[in-house]
Amino acid sequence: MISSFSLSPLMRCFRSVAALAGILVATAGLHGLALAEQAPSFVQNGVLTICTNPTLPPMTFVKGQDVSHPEGFDIDVAQALANRWRARLSVITMDFTGLFPSLSAQRCGLVMSGIIRTPAREKSFDAVTYQDTALVVVGRKGTPSLTSMDELAGKSIAVESGTSYITRLGLINDTLVAAGKPPMIIQQYPTEEQVVQQVLIGRVFAFVSQDVELFFRMRQLGDKLHVLITPDIPDYHHFAIYLRPNAADQTQLQSAISALETDGTLPALRSKWSVTDQSTKNGAANATSSSMFDWNAFFSALTSTAFLHGALITLSVALISHIIAITISVPIAIVLNSPQKSVLKIALEGYVSLFRAAPTLLQLLFIWNAVPQFFPIFREQWFTPFLATILALSVNESAYQVEINRAALSAVDPGQELGASALGLSRRDIYWRVIFPQAFRIALPPTINEFINLLKITSLASVISLQELLAVTQIQVARTFAFTEYYAAALVYYLVMVFFFLFLQKRVERRFAWSDRKKVVSNAA
Amino acid sequence: MQHEATDLPMISVRGMSKLFGEFVALDRVDFDVSRGEKIVVLGPSGSGKSTLIRTLNRIEPHDIGTLNINGKLINEKTDPIQLRCMVGMVFQNYNLFPHLSVLENCILAPMRVKHMSRAEATALARRYLEQVGIPDQADKYPIQLSGGQQQRVAIARALCMQPQVMLFDEPTAALDPEAIVGVVSIMDELAEQGITTVCVTHEMAFSRRIADRIIFMDQGKIVEITPPETFFTTPQTDRAQNFLNQMLRY
Repeated sequence: MISSFSLSPLMRCFRSVAALAGILVATAGLHGLALAEQAPSFVQNGVLTICTNPTLPPMTFVKGQDVSHPEGFDIDVAQALANRWRARLSVITMDFTGLFPSLSAQRCGLVMSGIIRTPAREKSFDAVTYQDTALVVVGRKGTPSLTSMDELAGKSIAVESGTSYITRLGLINDTLVAAGKPPMIIQQYPTEEQVVQQVLIGRVFAFVSQDVELFFRMRQLGDKLHVLITPDIPDYHHFAIYLRPNAADQTQLQSAISALETDGTLPALRSKWSVTDQSTKNGAANATSSSMFDWNAFFSALTSTAFLHGALITLSVALISHIIAITISVPIAIVLNSPQKSVLKIALEGYVSLFRAAPTLLQLLFIWNAVPQFFPIFREQWFTPFLATILALSVNESAYQVEINRAALSAVDPGQELGASALGLSRRDIYWRVIFPQAFRIALPPTINEFINLLKITSLASVISLQELLAVTQIQVARTFAFTEYYAAALVYYLVMVFFFLFLQKRVERRFAWSDRKKVVSNAA
Repeated sequence: MQHEATDLPMISVRGMSKLFGEFVALDRVDFDVSRGEKIVVLGPSGSGKSTLIRTLNRIEPHDIGTLNINGKLINEKTDPIQLRCMVGMVFQNYNLFPHLSVLENCILAPMRVKHMSRAEATALARRYLEQVGIPDQADKYPIQLSGGQQQRVAIARALCMQPQVMLFDEPTAALDPEAIVGVVSIMDELAEQGITTVCVTHEMAFSRRIADRIIFMDQGKIVEITPPETFFTTPQTDRAQNFLNQMLRY
């Protein structure tokens, strides 16, 4: 093991060729099996769908610019399983917290995301082990090693939210408190690279992760990190693939994994991804430079297709949602503004109150994870995160827009409607020619405000795996650790988009000269 | 089919009432207006003058009784658009469309309702703007005009629909004395052209000058209908006498 620490480039090259050969042999062996195995029930219509959060290298992460194609040990194992069952592999990426709800909602057949096998998770899901691992506590270089977990008392520890580390650290805290010691202060972060960053910038004393990830990070970050202790916690020895409870499926998956182990596929993949390689030399990615702002990284992020694609998704989701929201909200506002009482009015009032009250994030999660349990149509392939986000955001936004429209319509002098109807104009003309143009002027500034807000709110949709601008940024940061540069690039994109719409607002407002005596005079001059 | 019924009254109202909930705004009102006749409706505030005039183009539909205009029974089955082509109206607050220029205000309804071409409607509008004395303001927005000018635009806008009846709902109430003179002189001119007019106003001199008959109202009822000479010199009722005394005191 130690000997492989200082591999020459040639040796490394040779090793990957060997690994590749191993995989080829393995796949060939698979095809050699004349009879195709009966696929488990979670393989549907010849597609094996897995959910993953690609921020845990080397298990699952985005290596290049293309965010929609995560790579890693898990992804290759999934591919090997798919080959075995003669299925096509489909990978859905999302936030870690969305993984298990998505499995429940049957959005995917398996969760493969470098997740520890724990009894707690096995209460709700079946698990099959595919990789040994160990829990490690990691600090900055120069931090003295620990001899016992008790020494972490009173220290701050970063962990990824949604992971089982939190419950485990909670148990340790209980024993610490029982022993009269101060508990550890646990900080949760949504992605693993943010967890690591907290240690690098010195905000927390240590982070908790798995050894495989640590090996990768150490290669990535050079010698900035250092293992403080590797506690022997029985629950933390295995990575598992999770599936919905089904004994037959579990057995089948178990035997498939065993077969891949024996035929050499898994060992080959392990070496391909250096899952057990403790080498800290030779950064896998460009070793992050000093704390100076790396202009090259910034500009390459700014001009990357990944960022452009993310920004386009953000922009189109916001635009489409807002157009739908405005279209729905105008008739609702007209009904709500009418003096007559009706059942329709009460229903619409309920709609507006409900969607103004419920948090947008909750609405997204509800539509993505809860609704499919009742309406299976919403877990079909066509119902993409893009559509789900548009559905959630347009409904949500329409509720806010109704209030803007109501205010704008009420602000138009009732004499306008009177005057227009006295001229014999039809209802349609009264609204389109007389009331709407005047209400539009009043509604425009708050509507643009709402749109800007919406543009930024789209970032919430990363929880349901929409690859919008911020999600792309996070994933790219996980790959490169260039926090400042990538955040700055994302900021530039947001600013450009927002400023464009502010500019548009000014241009349109200039056409409302009729509303302001002074403006008219100055225009005439 | 169409009767050339010049002997028929232009407006005929029988037993007409209008309720706002419990409140009786118009109480069994009867009157006729002949073709080309000028009627001025007088009465204290809240007497139902404005409600009366608004029922005539069904901006406030009446609840009881019958209304005939130009020999046609007007009720919920009447096409409101046809009715309003026939009956034009001018409001106290002008109700011009602020987002449209003076010319656009005038041509909107002729184009949308009567389906005139833009050129046709524009020519018509320019003619009426000329008549109300503001031909050079056609391209301005209402906000750039004085109150008197705005009311002239409103009159021109109503005339562009070439109605047979004009309703004026206190057209000078929001104007300063100087502007009142201008608007009143236009109304004088219209009266001379023989268009049937029903006008709610507090302009006593104007009423006396142009009215063929005065309708005096109080508490939703028509108290008397008399020629102006009789009304202003020897009103038939005490209520009218009181009203005149109060009006003359100020």
